Amino acid sequence: MDIFLQQLINGLTIGSLYALVALGYTMVYGVMRLINFAHGDLVAFSAYVGLTVFTQFFGAGATSFINIIIVFLVTSIIVAFAGVLLERLAYRPLRGAPRLSAVVSALGASLVIQNGIMLIWGPNMEIFPADLLPSTQWDLGGIIITFTQMVILVLSAVLMAALYIFINKTKIGTAIRATAIDQDAAKLMGINVNRIIMIIFIVGSMLGAIGGLFIGIYYRGLTFDMGWLYGLNAFIAAIIGGIGSIPGAMLGGLLLGLFNAMITGYISTEWAETFTFLLLIVILIVRPTGILGEKTADKV
Amino acid sequence: MKLGKFLGAIALSTAVASSLFAADTVTIGVQAPITGKYANEGQGISQFVKLIVDEKNANGGLLGKQINIVVCDDEAKAQKAAVCAKKLVNAGAFAVIGSYTSGATEAAQTTYYRNKVLQTSDGTSDSLIKRKYWTFFRNSFPNSAQSDFTAKYMVETKQYKKIVVLSDYSSYSNGLGNATEASVKALGGNVIFRGKIKSGTQNFTAILTKIKAMKPDAIYFSGYYTDGGLLRAQQAQLAIKADFVGGDSNDNPDFLKLAGKAAQGTTLINFPTPDLLPYPVAKKYLADYERVFNMKPPSIWAVVNADGLRAIMHGVEQTNSFDTKKISDYLHTLKDFEGITGPVTFRNDGERIGATFMVYNIQKDGSYKVMSK
Repeated sequence: MDIFLQQLINGLTIGSLYALVALGYTMVYGVMRLINFAHGDLVAFSAYVGLTVFTQFFGAGATSFINIIIVFLVTSIIVAFAGVLLERLAYRPLRGAPRLSAVVSALGASLVIQNGIMLIWGPNMEIFPADLLPSTQWDLGGIIITFTQMVILVLSAVLMAALYIFINKTKIGTAIRATAIDQDAAKLMGINVNRIIMIIFIVGSMLGAIGGLFIGIYYRGLTFDMGWLYGLNAFIAAIIGGIGSIPGAMLGGLLLGLFNAMITGYISTEWAETFTFLLLIVILIVRPTGILGEKTADKV
Repeated sequence: MKLGKFLGAIALSTAVASSLFAADTVTIGVQAPITGKYANEGQGISQFVKLIVDEKNANGGLLGKQINIVVCDDEAKAQKAAVCAKKLVNAGAFAVIGSYTSGATEAAQTTYYRNKVLQTSDGTSDSLIKRKYWTFFRNSFPNSAQSDFTAKYMVETKQYKKIVVLSDYSSYSNGLGNATEASVKALGGNVIFRGKIKSGTQNFTAILTKIKAMKPDAIYFSGYYTDGGLLRAQQAQLAIKADFVGGDSNDNPDFLKLAGKAAQGTTLINFPTPDLLPYPVAKKYLADYERVFNMKPPSIWAVVNADGLRAIMHGVEQTNSFDTKKISDYLHTLKDFEGITGPVTFRNDGERIGATFMVYNIQKDGSYKVMSK
């Protein structure tokens, strides 16, 4: 039983990271019907930025909560700016173009960011300091949970709840939902669609940045091509949950993390990916729009 | 300053021109992961080759010809390695040093063989020798030698009762994992679990939790340091009280950084680290390396590749020709050539023989303590 619960914690931790990253994919898709392939690389970028901000401002030894919070804030702002820049340069000029052009542009942007990271920080692995967060851990009858895991779980839950409220209860959130349903109609209602898309990129990038920082703090080793690894998993999570749906991305991320941990734990690592993609196929057969995906009737 | 740059430009252009038009240079290729996960190993190999070649060129070159190095980055990927092999062959290399990983080495082997280009690599996968290419020389020692040593240490010296063997899916790591499992069983040891991780996935908590339930005495990992460091860190995080024994490719400074506090007490099995090489020629070259590049070689791998290069240059000088077949025939009988990593002796299939291994225990300050030889 304790092994099962430990796997549950393992799965939820990585699942929360997938969910945070998946939100970026799903928000952009929901509004623009575009798969932002560069999102995973923005996540990798944020981990590098976070590491640089930390070492430049504070040096390796100076860890305190205030410093960590400053690192999170500065990094989120820088990455949000990068996200807006990405939209301006790679997506806005192609908004009227066929969808395929935008997807190709997204793939191109992904390579640009990835190689940009390699040019700035070099091809070697960069490594986060070991004790950014206290190394406290709790042993609950054989189930080990670390302080870092706790922070990841709690903060991800809080952020997701905040995002849910932001989308569903605020005026901007209403405008975002309206834009997602029909951009032209939203324009007619006086919604500034460009501004909404900018907000989407800011929020999505910030969540991705926090996900990237967590990945850096928890797993510590950064490689310039790590964006693909987390990006691909988060993208699958977004599809499982129903791309375009925000609760779907959260659910998809957690489900993917748990599923992976359980397959690895109870069957084998060899089969983990096979089963993950099998799950994806089954879900898409049963519910083509994902678990919580919106049912859109295509107008013929 | 300007004059210096100008002279530099002239020197460069003459170097380029001479390599294009004159026959007084020879080309040696370096195929190594200059970027990607194992970049620091690849850069180490490329730098050590440069050191040896520069020294040779300063002393009049190889049979009076200046050596020109062409480096190709294979990113430790098989596809890129195949492209590199063609590129280096087209560049006219008579010998290629590398690559770092067995997978990338294997992918390039056939191209070099078909074009009669000598290749020397530190790849330890046993399969590298199986094709019996006369062009190939292993400058390190095969997995099977290491696995026997490792099994003896774990089963006889440490008396581990329950051993877990982990590897990744690469040709080297999987091969070493399988060989170690077989060696442990041959000594009557008990391998309770043989698992595989996917290199680079970073999250190994699931498989470690599964291992935790088995209550092993030791976890042996035959993969690379980028995964080994994280495995060790996550093992400590999950409070799995088993000794961690790492195979040769865990021997890298990044292993210590990734493992953090958990690095202390880790056991690594490898050839002697560069610092511990007792030979005078080793002391000279390692001091030169540090002076020129202002750092130590990342690990022993750069050094064994340098020995491969030195053996080939020795072969050229002894046979007084650049005929690769002649050099190869000579090297197949090479015995006790004074190498940086000890005497270099090749068997007639290109295998380096006379393996020495050491067991290190990582101390609190990150230094290595030699446990046994």
